Amino acid sequence: MRELLKTRVAEMLREGRVDGVVGLIESHGEPLPYLFTADDTAALERISTGELQGRLAELIPGVVRYPLGKILTAVARKHPDKRFGVMCRACDERVVFGLFQNLQLDPDKVEILGLPCKEELARACSCPAPAPRSAIVDQPSREAWDRADLERIDAMALDERFAFWVEELGRCIKCYGCRNACPVCFCDVCTLQDDGLVKKGEIPAELPAFQLTRAWHMVGRCVDCGLCQEACPMDIPIRTIYRKVRSIVGELFDYFPGERDGGKSPLEQLGDGSFPIQ
Amino acid sequence: MTNSIAELEDAACIFIIGSNTTEAHPLVANRILRAKQKGAKLIVADPRKIHIAEFADIHLSHRLGSDVALINGIMHVILAEGWEAKDYIASRTEGFEALERVVRGYTPEKVSGITGVPAEQIRAVAEAYARSASSSIVYAMGITQHTTGVDNVKSLANLAMLCGRIGVECGGVNPLRGQNNVQGACDMGALPNVLPGYQKVTDEAARKKFEQAWGVALPSEVGLTVMKMMNGLHAGSVRALYVMGENPAMSDPNSHHVREALSRAELLVVQDITLTETTEYAHAVLPGVSFAEKDGTFTNTERRVQRVRKGIEPVGDSREDGWILCELSRRLGHAMELEPASELMDEIAGLTPSYGGMRYDRLEAFGLQWPCPDAEHPGTKYLHKDKFARGRGLFHAIEYQPPAEACDDEYPMQLTTGRSFVHFHTGTMTRRSPSLDEEQKDPFVQMHPEDAEAHGISPPGQVKVITRRGSISLEAKLSARIPKGMLFIPFHFAEAAANLLTIDALDPIAGIPEYKVCAARVERE
Repeated sequence: MRELLKTRVAEMLREGRVDGVVGLIESHGEPLPYLFTADDTAALERISTGELQGRLAELIPGVVRYPLGKILTAVARKHPDKRFGVMCRACDERVVFGLFQNLQLDPDKVEILGLPCKEELARACSCPAPAPRSAIVDQPSREAWDRADLERIDAMALDERFAFWVEELGRCIKCYGCRNACPVCFCDVCTLQDDGLVKKGEIPAELPAFQLTRAWHMVGRCVDCGLCQEACPMDIPIRTIYRKVRSIVGELFDYFPGERDGGKSPLEQLGDGSFPIQ
Repeated sequence: MTNSIAELEDAACIFIIGSNTTEAHPLVANRILRAKQKGAKLIVADPRKIHIAEFADIHLSHRLGSDVALINGIMHVILAEGWEAKDYIASRTEGFEALERVVRGYTPEKVSGITGVPAEQIRAVAEAYARSASSSIVYAMGITQHTTGVDNVKSLANLAMLCGRIGVECGGVNPLRGQNNVQGACDMGALPNVLPGYQKVTDEAARKKFEQAWGVALPSEVGLTVMKMMNGLHAGSVRALYVMGENPAMSDPNSHHVREALSRAELLVVQDITLTETTEYAHAVLPGVSFAEKDGTFTNTERRVQRVRKGIEPVGDSREDGWILCELSRRLGHAMELEPASELMDEIAGLTPSYGGMRYDRLEAFGLQWPCPDAEHPGTKYLHKDKFARGRGLFHAIEYQPPAEACDDEYPMQLTTGRSFVHFHTGTMTRRSPSLDEEQKDPFVQMHPEDAEAHGISPPGQVKVITRRGSISLEAKLSARIPKGMLFIPFHFAEAAANLLTIDALDPIAGIPEYKVCAARVERE
């Protein structure tokens, strides 16, 4: 897979289809985000799919992920005239499509290099849609979305559920890691830092104002990549909250951010949706 | 730490004392909370009901500076109930009889009088700590920053040895270091009395070894602690000071005195990555570099030596610290070449037995924990297995002594200082971060609502906090998490610097100041 990825990235750059490719590079055995360019051929030798090597691979299961869609957005904002390729697992691809839908990236200026995940990885991630549409290799179909975490919490009595979340969210040290890792958090001004809504300077982050504010902002946005939970240093199952939001939006509006082309978030529709959004 | 961070996750009982773990060491706190989720008993001793105390099975709100009495009380119960580890005491320790004699006087009822902790709680803690399958002690500056700091640490060692908790998995006495590389700095001999690897400067053989390797004569006398340097500057016996990566004008106690001392220096050189309150007194400021601009290693709180790699070239006119030192040395007449960091590590390995097996190629990925004496050694997860460094573990019989400054009519409250989760230390880095600054812009004093009411303070109210050393004005934050009669001020804020208030009374052995308790009063502004 790595060799194929390398060939495809080299091709894109050589043919001038893109000005750069956002992907991962291996540094001392660890994958790091990197912008590959045509004149930087040495870097291409170290391109990585996010899989760990050697001793690290034995100790850390799975692959290393970064919010590549978020990094691409930053790079694209800086170079609005350039075209970019981006390495995407299925989760990253949903991010990129979500960012198209939210007008943060221009589909005409992005080319996706999709990497299918192995089955055990997709299962370990409870991936809702494990097959990237723009995959660079043929892929077997994969089962989607293990809902066990939602079902477990939905099955709790209200009191029990409340106690569960108070306990879990009570650990929050307000590092903002969930927001910072979130590839679809792109606002310039963040409501989580609004004095009137969320109290500052105290841990846990104000309960439930902080978490509910964030959950509400995930409506029509969360693509269920799970990077928020990976980033959480206190092991809070925050992804479950956003999955719940996603499932409600899906049921009510048949809208699954990042999974289909086009379409508008329910929050961007007025009435029947015909009112134009600027 | 005698043990490792990951071991905390599997401990059956964790006793946190003098550590605001979630705010100051959140990743360690995470391991502790994971242990709690697996069913571990969690005990938190802190006068304030700090965040992690919310998760505790038992929260002891003992009076500031009453740690020795509290720990003696816990040991009293353990001995009275016969819960001590008799075989361990017999085979691995000495000095037990003297300890037993002193501890006999600390009944839970008497200790309750000194500490304010109910006798029943002391019994419950004794039982949980002594009778769990494994028990870890975790502490930080709340234990050390006292005139009885050394006594406090020895008392924790007593408690751990009494129950056979040192030299075993998921046990130990585990100080959480306050800076990413303070362990490494100490390991490398950045202390007045030792060379790298804690080899004493007064030990002629050790000194000779370094003299031979370095080709210079080394002083054979113990140097000065920070507080002695400051007092020396003040008195004129010290004339020049070279400060590297520290901000004593903010971080040392009784800042008025410190600033006077700094202003008396004939030569003050400060090497740092930013201008600070201390550079205001400097004759020369040397711009060093941040972690991202240099190669080397950091040694963390669990003795783990880890690589740090240069991500960017030094910004502006700044220079690597090693370059500055070599250049300074050259200009002073002793030429030194700045070697690549990997070669420096080889030199360290050659001269420092506990780092003997540490080479760069072995530090990839996860680093190594010392002692790691040779190239095949896998590093050491926990210390003192089977044998203590000195042979047998020595019990110290220690009597409780009150803090240096007692409350009186003029200063009826107790002031303590510490950190908030938002900022680090004197804020020279974190207060320059827009997002962190946004989270906590202004200094504050935490006080109990009833104390506030008694002083006619209602939030958001500015108050003046006054001690015998000085006074500062800041906002009052009311909270029932702090006991009545107590004030807490984080020391991050130059505009209301907590250390203008703190006392410079020192621990007689370690020389550490009593940042954690002094007498104060509060007035409405």
